[in-house]
Amino acid sequence: MNRFGSPATHPVVQAGATHARRAPLWAATDRAAMFDAARLALARDLTLAFRKRGQLVQPLAFFAMVTMLFPLAISPELSRLREVAPGVVWAGALLASLLALEFLFRDDAYDGTLEQYALSGQSLTWLIFAKTVAHWLLTGVPLALMAPLAAFSLGVSAAAVPGIVASVAVGSVALSLIGSIGAALTLGIKRSGALLSLLTLPLSLPVLIFGARATQLAITGGPLAAPLELLAALAVLAVTLAPLAAAAAVRISLE
Amino acid sequence: MTQFFDMGGYAAFVWPSYAVTLAAIALNIVWARRALARSREEARRRLAMRGEER
Amino acid sequence: MTWTWFHRLASPPYVYTLAARLTPWFAWPAALLIIGGLWGGLVMAPPDYQQGDGFRIIYVHAPSAWMSLMVYTTMASAAAVGLIWRIKVAHAVAASCAPIGASFTFAALVTGALWGQPMWGTYWQWDPRLTSELILLFLYLGYMGLRAGLEDTQRADRASAVLAVVGVVNVPIIHYSVTWWNSLHQAPSVMRLAKPTMALSMLVPLLMMLLGFTLFFAAILLVRLRGEVLSRERAASWIREIVNA
Repeated sequence: MNRFGSPATHPVVQAGATHARRAPLWAATDRAAMFDAARLALARDLTLAFRKRGQLVQPLAFFAMVTMLFPLAISPELSRLREVAPGVVWAGALLASLLALEFLFRDDAYDGTLEQYALSGQSLTWLIFAKTVAHWLLTGVPLALMAPLAAFSLGVSAAAVPGIVASVAVGSVALSLIGSIGAALTLGIKRSGALLSLLTLPLSLPVLIFGARATQLAITGGPLAAPLELLAALAVLAVTLAPLAAAAAVRISLE
Repeated sequence: MTQFFDMGGYAAFVWPSYAVTLAAIALNIVWARRALARSREEARRRLAMRGEER
Repeated sequence: MTWTWFHRLASPPYVYTLAARLTPWFAWPAALLIIGGLWGGLVMAPPDYQQGDGFRIIYVHAPSAWMSLMVYTTMASAAAVGLIWRIKVAHAVAASCAPIGASFTFAALVTGALWGQPMWGTYWQWDPRLTSELILLFLYLGYMGLRAGLEDTQRADRASAVLAVVGVVNVPIIHYSVTWWNSLHQAPSVMRLAKPTMALSMLVPLLMMLLGFTLFFAAILLVRLRGEVLSRERAASWIREIVNA
C-alpha cells in the first residue's frame, strides 16, 4: 500500500472533493487548488519513483550503453569520435528518454489513479504537466548531467561541459513534453514501444536538430546562444501546448 | 522520338520519377477499391451472422 | 436559407450514397486533366534553358508535394471537426485521407531525390524542407500505426485525431521553410500571392496536373469514405439495402 492509501483518500482527490463541497463547480479550477493539486501530483510521482531506485537508473544505464556502442562500432580514434559526439549524445538521450516515457502513465493507468485524476475535478492539464515535470526531473536532468561523461568518452574536452549540460537540459524539457502526448495516445496498447517512438520522433526532430547543433558548438567552442535560445523557445512552446494535447489524449484513452 | 525518350540526357531521372508517381496513382485506385470491397464483404457477413442469431 | 443540406453530411447513409454518386464527377475530370497535363508537360512544354528536359520532373514532383500537404490539412481539419463536434463521418474522412497522403508524400520524396541528383548533385540533404517533408511521412505512418494499434474504433478515431491535429504544425513549416531558412530547395514560384514566375507554356500543364491530382484525391477519398462509413455502422438497416444491392 503506498503512502497515500486507496485512491479515494488520495490528497489530490480529497483536495478536489473538499473544494467542491465548499465552492461551486467552476471554482474547481481555482488557481490555488490547481497548483496544490499539481504540486501534490509531482511530489507523489517523485516519491514513488525513488522507491524503485533500480528503475530510475535504467534510462541512464541505457544511455551509457548506447554511447559506448558508437566508439566500438565506428572507430576508437578520438578525433573521429569527437566529430560525431553531438549526434551520439543526442541520439542516446532521445532513446533513453523514450524508454522512460513508456512508464510515464503506465502504472497510474493500471491502478486507476489516472482515472481518479481525470474525475477529480482538478485541471487534468496541470496534473499531466506535473507528471511530465516529474519525468523530466527523473530522466532529463540526470541525462543532462551524464551527457558530459559520455562526451568525455568520445574525446571531448572539459571546456564543453557547461554547453553540453545546458543544451541537453533545455532540450529534454521539450522531449519529455512531446513524449507525454505520445505516451497518452498509446496508453494501454501492448508492446507500444515502437509505436510510441514512431509518434514521438517526428515531432521531436527539431529539438534533436537544434540540440545537436548547440552541443556541437559547445564542443568546438563557438557561440551557442542561437541554438540554445531556439531550444528554449521550443521548450516554452511545448510547455504551453503539450499538456493540453496530452490531457485530451488521456481522456480519450480512458474512455 | 529518341530525343523524347532520352530527355536531354536526364532519362535516368525523369522516367523513374514519372513511374513512381503513376504507380502511386495506380496503387491508390487499386487500394481504395479493395478497401471498399472488403468493407462491403464484412458488412454482409456481419448482417448474415446477425440474421442467423435470430 | 436552410442548413439541412449541411447537416445531412453527418448522416452516414446519406454520405454513402452521395459519395457513390459524386465519384465519377471527380474521377473522369481528374483523368482528363492528368493525361492532358502529362502531354503538356512531357511533349508541349519547351525545355528549360537551365535544366533542359530534366525540369519536367516538376510535373510529377510538385503535384505530389502539393498532395502531401493538402491531404494532411484535410485530414487534420476533418479530425478536428470529428473531435469537437463528435461527428463519426468526419473521423471516417480523416481515416480515408491517411493512406492517400502517405503514398504521395513518399512519391514527393522519391521524385525530389531523383530531381536533386542531377540538379544539386545529391539525392538527399538534411535541409529544412526535405527534413520536414520526411517528418510528414512519419506523421502519416504514425497516424496509420496508431489507428491499427487501437482495437476500439471510437478510441482509434479520437486518439488519431489528436495526433493529426498536433502534427498539423508541420504543414506551415514545410511550406515556409524555404523562405524562413537558407534552404537548398528553391523558393516557391507558383504557390505565392504574387504572380507566378514561370512561363505560360510551362505553367499551364503544371496547373492542370495540380488540379487533376486534387480531383483525383477527391475521387479516391470518396471511394475510401464509403468503406470507412460502412465499417463504422454496426447493424443499421440501411446497410441491408446497400449490401444486398
